[in-house]
Amino acid sequence: MATTSTPGGAAPRTSLWGRLDERIGGYAYIAPFFIVFGLFGLIPILFTAWVSLHQWGALSDPTFVSFDNYARLLADPRFWNAAFNTLSIWVISTVPQLILALFLAHVLNETLLRGKGIFRMAMLVPNITSVLAVGIVFSSIFGRDYGLMNFLLESLGLNRVDWQASQPSSHVAISTMVMWRWTGYNTLILLAAMQAIPRDLYEVAAMDGAGRLRQFFTVTVPQLRNTIIFVTIVSTIGGMQIFTEPLVFGGTQQAITGGAARQYQTLALFLYEQGFRNFQFGYASTIAWVLFIVILGFSVVNLLLTRRIARD
Amino acid sequence: MRKNRVFGVAMSGLLATAAFGAAPVAAQDVTLDLWNFGAMGLEELITQYEAEHGIKVNIVQRGYDEHHEALLTSLMAGEVPDIAAVEVGYNSLFKATPQVFTDLRQFGAEALEPTYLDWRWAQGVATDGTIIGIPTDVGGIAMCFRTDLFEAAGLPTDPDEVSALWPDWDAFIETGKTFTAANTGAKFIDSAGGSVYNLVKNQGTEKYYAPNDPDTLIYETNPQNLKAWATAVAAIEAGLSANISQFSPEWNAGMANGDFAVLGCPAWMMNYIQGQAPDTAGKWNIASAPEKGGNWGGTQLTVPAASDNAQAAYDLIAWLLTPERQLEVFKLHGNFPSTPELYDTPEIQDFTSEFFSGAPVGKIFAESAKALHPVYEGPRERAIDREFGNGLGRIEAGLETADEAWASTLANVLLALQN
Repeated sequence: MATTSTPGGAAPRTSLWGRLDERIGGYAYIAPFFIVFGLFGLIPILFTAWVSLHQWGALSDPTFVSFDNYARLLADPRFWNAAFNTLSIWVISTVPQLILALFLAHVLNETLLRGKGIFRMAMLVPNITSVLAVGIVFSSIFGRDYGLMNFLLESLGLNRVDWQASQPSSHVAISTMVMWRWTGYNTLILLAAMQAIPRDLYEVAAMDGAGRLRQFFTVTVPQLRNTIIFVTIVSTIGGMQIFTEPLVFGGTQQAITGGAARQYQTLALFLYEQGFRNFQFGYASTIAWVLFIVILGFSVVNLLLTRRIARD
Repeated sequence: MRKNRVFGVAMSGLLATAAFGAAPVAAQDVTLDLWNFGAMGLEELITQYEAEHGIKVNIVQRGYDEHHEALLTSLMAGEVPDIAAVEVGYNSLFKATPQVFTDLRQFGAEALEPTYLDWRWAQGVATDGTIIGIPTDVGGIAMCFRTDLFEAAGLPTDPDEVSALWPDWDAFIETGKTFTAANTGAKFIDSAGGSVYNLVKNQGTEKYYAPNDPDTLIYETNPQNLKAWATAVAAIEAGLSANISQFSPEWNAGMANGDFAVLGCPAWMMNYIQGQAPDTAGKWNIASAPEKGGNWGGTQLTVPAASDNAQAAYDLIAWLLTPERQLEVFKLHGNFPSTPELYDTPEIQDFTSEFFSGAPVGKIFAESAKALHPVYEGPRERAIDREFGNGLGRIEAGLETADEAWASTLANVLLALQN
């Protein structure tokens, strides 16, 4: 267009609208995302940062307290307890989950398996079930007096477990819910990545005399490295914010504190307790920001790792 | 032309908006949102009121803490229900900001004062005189017990004889040991927090705060609180507790299956038992509580200031809580009236409950209601109460010894009270 115009000639003059379109049109097209993100993402995050510097109770006005809330949080044993619980539930749920997902994906990738479509769809069912429903079902499975799990344990001649009472047992029960919900989802992602591995790698490996197991560990797993890291990042972000499962697992008025000894109170539950049970909005916002920074930290570490692996 | 058309569209839009805004609201179109918790037994009466007055009432029922938390959030946000229950454990917290409630004096509520027990009425009045709520029931305390399980354990089942078994709390624990030794397969009580600690604590003249003083905490030294804790610990250590938290699904199941023989019974508890375990009709009876006296609970119905239908809401509350309707609720569900003029009437005195094996529940709870006295509950009452409940829960679960739990509870209360 510019090349066809000659100085002083009767160049086709683009209208004002057309020129505006060229200059700002692109921004307009991407604006909806940024407007929505700003309204529901950025502004609340910044507002939370502002609130976290204030003391703000129920039906009262905020007063500025600088970084007092942060100092208080770091000295609060309930915070460290919640941080430990969150980390513990994350590890107990993520590690077996990924191993299981890798195994399931491998099975689904087998050429011998029939009815693959059905199995692959079935994998996603737990993920699209309402987390509340999952929680209710699992908390009755793990009920102390009338739970299915204790019934099974007893019929195997083992002792009943009061699942909610102690830290390890409650973490196992909650992790089971998380695993049930996310294993299938991760399986599908790993499966997609597995299908992208070139077949000839396996042929070469087979020619070199590698058995199926050897092929799995020396071809499949290394090829999946990036995907495994991606899956780990996603489950880290989810795991740090785990909320509904422990809440429903508790079931009663004790749920928000995560049991009588806070044995399964996660960071997100602690945040909720301070914000909407004790109505300390400043303090709750502080927890939110610390949680945000922790997740950001994890994500950065993950990103650096991925980059380094990609470069290798 | 074009400009005109745009203008026209804009105008008609404005007109439509104006017309919509000005549309008169017919009386029949009034819908009242009522938020409450637990079992208040008001549903039948509300249905009757809807039919008689051509209004609609949406009842939203939540758990005890959830209800009050949601109410506080809604009061801050300004998106409020028209009627909200406020229980005494949260009373001082809400009364500290009376301006978020409609002052019911504007509807002449002060004329109702003589109808209700003085101290119950006072619970709905803020320090500046604002009347924020009208009282519902009173929770005088008795003991509900399972006659079948008592019989199986070789204990008497006649209420007077059972009451004679436990003149004081030590005797109650001893009775529990006798019951436990008989190995009926059931535990003596549902939980040490609900059926011992709460009852003993509520029998005192003070709880966690010094009387009418929101700044002085006495829970660490108040002898009644120490006694409540020690008695609950004794019950746990003697293995009397089924260790089920109250108002949980397990509790409902345990109640229906006869997993415990005794349940501390403020009058409103009868409503829970009949609602959650209807098949146990005729298996319960009611004895007096050890050392007698004590009140647990009590609610005011309030009208948040931001309600658009304050008058209609007040009319419903005033109608619901008259003596004759409270009597009706009592007969149907068990929640005991807060209106003393009823106490000596034959309707109350002669009323027996078939569900509770013909127990003279009218007489029992009238006796206990007359003996009640005001106990001050401070602004963070519920937060402190939860920590004591959690402390006992840790002993019940075997996570801490009694001494450890007392120390950790005191530490947790301090953390909870930090602002």
